[in-house]
Amino acid sequence: MIDDDRPIGILIVEDNPGDVDLLRENFKDFKPANKLHVAKDGVEALQYLRRQGSFSEAALPDLIILDLNLPRKNGYEVLAEIKNASDLKRIPLVIFSSSQADENIMKFCASPAVCYLNKPERLDDFAKLLQAIEAFWINSMKLGT
Amino acid sequence: MNRGIASSAADAAQNRRSHTKAMLNILEDFVQEKARLESLQEATLNILDDFDVARKNVERAYLQLQAAAEELERSNTELEQFFYVASHDMQEPLRMVANYTELLARRHKDKLDPESEKFVAYIIDGATHMQELIKDLLLYARVGKNQIFGPTDCSAALRSALANLKIAIKESGGDSKVTHGPMPHLTADFSQLVSLFQNLVSNAIKYRRKSVPAAIRIEAKRLRKEWEFSVSDNGIGIDMQYANRLFLPFQRLHTRLEYPGTGIGLAICKKIVAQHGGRIWIESEPGKGTTCRFTIADNLGSREGGAIQ
Repeated sequence: MIDDDRPIGILIVEDNPGDVDLLRENFKDFKPANKLHVAKDGVEALQYLRRQGSFSEAALPDLIILDLNLPRKNGYEVLAEIKNASDLKRIPLVIFSSSQADENIMKFCASPAVCYLNKPERLDDFAKLLQAIEAFWINSMKLGT
Repeated sequence: MNRGIASSAADAAQNRRSHTKAMLNILEDFVQEKARLESLQEATLNILDDFDVARKNVERAYLQLQAAAEELERSNTELEQFFYVASHDMQEPLRMVANYTELLARRHKDKLDPESEKFVAYIIDGATHMQELIKDLLLYARVGKNQIFGPTDCSAALRSALANLKIAIKESGGDSKVTHGPMPHLTADFSQLVSLFQNLVSNAIKYRRKSVPAAIRIEAKRLRKEWEFSVSDNGIGIDMQYANRLFLPFQRLHTRLEYPGTGIGLAICKKIVAQHGGRIWIESEPGKGTTCRFTIADNLGSREGGAIQ
């Protein structure tokens, strides 16, 4: 399923460059070697995932990290569209948000391919976040999602 | 015969006169009666007019009241949404400030002199404190949202609050004791009641006297139409001149260094008690202890009444 030699592709859907850089900084130490792609809003994320326009050569990511507060198409809409697309719905997806999960989100989190993680308020908490993402990703691979 | 004729003519004239007089009398009565009826009719019409004016006034007042109620509900909803969005969006920049200050400090660890390290600590402390304030403001704004009032077992609510405080109670010292009397059943929102007990007991633990083991007692007593609860401690106490101020959001009597926290707890308690139609107040003597009392209307009355052990 995943070629052990190639780095895993991670799509980060995040409009705040500060958050993107914090993720970049911390993903350097992430266990499976990885390559990060960034989409700065929901429309761009879906274009990437559907390999439209300038993304025609893009490979489907092995993991998606999705912020909820996004310009244009927001995270909720992106999530709904991903879960309705047969080729995308199995990609492990981390909802990465600074707010508490609400009911809209909880119904998606019932799926084993989705997990919800809060954005760390302190730098030290990033290590825990990365561990959680790693555990979630490995678990998703085992389940063959 | 003539006399008779004359007499009968006179009689006839007399008769006519009296007839005419009677007719005139009747006519006069009739005119009077007509006038009376007319004035009665006018009075009735006036009353009807007045009634109509009054009805229209009431209708107008009702519509105004309805519009005001709708406006109030709309502005409340808007305020709540504004509050939520503002609180959420305000967290983001603070997260950036805290994270990047730390990242900067981490990168330049060896180059920072002790004073610069102190400045870094101040920035991080400021940002995290602001995050706490926003979170607590959000917590305060949310009191009463999605509330469900129903028959509530106060002893279950208290048990739940004490379970949440288990670690805090344990860490306050092995000799700390929290005890309570019989608790009633009443109509309340269970989770608000848990939060109320939890805030009050948590304050009692937090502001304990270091020299004596904390002894906290929770009681409930039945008054005429309500239950009065009390949470008493043997802690440091409060100067009563500041007692009312403590129920306002973010009002504190101590620095964050002495006692951590934002000062939202008692404001939340006051809001919860207000949702239940009750009052809350403090009785205290510095150095001896504090009793916080609150009331909750006993709307279950005798149906379930009575204290349940």
